[in-house]
Amino acid sequence: MAYDLRRLRAMSGRVAVVGVGDTDYGKDYRTPLGTRQRGVPSERDSYALAVEAFKRALADSGLKKEDIDGLLVNGAPYWRIAEILGLRFNWGADQGGAGYHDVAKATEAINSGRCNTVAIIKTTVQRSVGAAFGGTNQTRSGYMANWYYPPWGFTSPGAQYTMAFQQHMERFGSTEEQLGTVAVTFRKHAMLNENAVMRTPLTIEDYTSSRYICRPFHIYDYCIINDGAVVLILTRADRAKDLPHTPVLVAGLGNYGAGIRHTQFSFRFLDEGWENLKNASDEAFGMAGLGPKDITHFQTYDGYSFHLPMNLEGFGFCKRGEGLDFIQDGRIEIGGELPCNTSGGMLSESYMHGSNHQVEAVRQLRREAGQRQVRGAETSMFCHHGHSGADTVIYRRGN
Amino acid sequence: MAEKRPDRVLGPFDATFWEYCTKGEFRLQRCNACGHYAWPPAPLCSECLSEDLTWTLLSGRGKVKTHCTFERQYYPECPPPWPVVVVDLEEGPWFVGNPKGINWSELKIGMSVKVSFIDCEDSQGQFKLPVFERA
Repeated sequence: MAYDLRRLRAMSGRVAVVGVGDTDYGKDYRTPLGTRQRGVPSERDSYALAVEAFKRALADSGLKKEDIDGLLVNGAPYWRIAEILGLRFNWGADQGGAGYHDVAKATEAINSGRCNTVAIIKTTVQRSVGAAFGGTNQTRSGYMANWYYPPWGFTSPGAQYTMAFQQHMERFGSTEEQLGTVAVTFRKHAMLNENAVMRTPLTIEDYTSSRYICRPFHIYDYCIINDGAVVLILTRADRAKDLPHTPVLVAGLGNYGAGIRHTQFSFRFLDEGWENLKNASDEAFGMAGLGPKDITHFQTYDGYSFHLPMNLEGFGFCKRGEGLDFIQDGRIEIGGELPCNTSGGMLSESYMHGSNHQVEAVRQLRREAGQRQVRGAETSMFCHHGHSGADTVIYRRGN
Repeated sequence: MAEKRPDRVLGPFDATFWEYCTKGEFRLQRCNACGHYAWPPAPLCSECLSEDLTWTLLSGRGKVKTHCTFERQYYPECPPPWPVVVVDLEEGPWFVGNPKGINWSELKIGMSVKVSFIDCEDSQGQFKLPVFERA
């Protein structure tokens, strides 16, 4: 592999997340939308959401606005966000999201000396503008597996993963009912999170009797669509010591992408997917000096439920083919062996494209997660598996 | 009577593929240097970077790699249940298609299939669409 573990290890634990802020996902979801339209300024647009999350994160961090000298924004132009917030910065960028990418870029910028303190701002207005991820609005979008095949009626990112689950079912005998454990468990966790969008109880019977979107996925296998923002503030770990909260250290980062067969689904499917996941997790575990046994809290980017078992297999938490067995019997619940997506994830808490998971990792490692706190949370691992390949970040609780 | 379908992607290299389909020929670009087949159509070989590619007739045979069936209606032209297969073609590419003459509930990974064409039309014109029947 091309990464240099010696230099990566030197970067481990040198940057800390010291502030987190998010918006009122549940309250916003239940508020009538009125006449909001795409591109039309409103009182609760992506800027307003970003401002709210930023002020909360800044207050949480104990830092002053003037301390922020790096800015990474997803969902709005960073210069406009900087204007609204009155920020001066040495390093700024617009960045594709998915949680990992923002944290990795900010960590790299701080470690390389470009800046000391980065605000990562993720903001997204989706539900209020009628966002949808399949069908006519994505026809002729170009070369991605969920865009290229409209003449055959194939569309939507989720349908790609239905076909990976279909492989799993036919190869290993796993069942829809087993997969239902993901949605049911994440809902259970969301019920312990007052800020989550979806908090009504969900049973396995509700799941199996629910309608299919694309067989073999039921509606509960898909994430929700809502509006919101997330802000994370990262700084040098040596500076974090003077701040109010226990720092949460960026211990490991990993990414593996392969363009090979990208429009032919490649790593969305089992075998190539496992290889990508393995390569990404090897890098992150190597950088952090940790292995699957050391992880006390795990979160997956859960655009779709099947990410969880597939990622657990690829990352080596269980054998390939055993992911659907692994997630049963409370193992991924709070109090279980490997609590997963404890805030409810994107299936039930909020669809912040992986950014809400970073906030939850921080709250868990600070031991601030209240009734959903994982006892003895020392490390937290996040996995994203999407069009960038596989990527991951490992956090550990600092002193 | 041509079936209405959602629009094809007609980028700079795709038009030739559809022209061959419309003649009833299932051709992809084969690299003359290394034998790799490009899909979607490409400016060069992604394996060896050669630009020496020939539109080559395929056997049209393959095995179902995986499949799904849409129950939500995303396109007015594609009423549910709407099955889609990914076919592992003999020549290498994994090719999206629809099953023809195979009910969605009968689809199985590993099933042998062969290409066939149906008359279609989208907002860009008439064309023949490659689909797959039992081999």
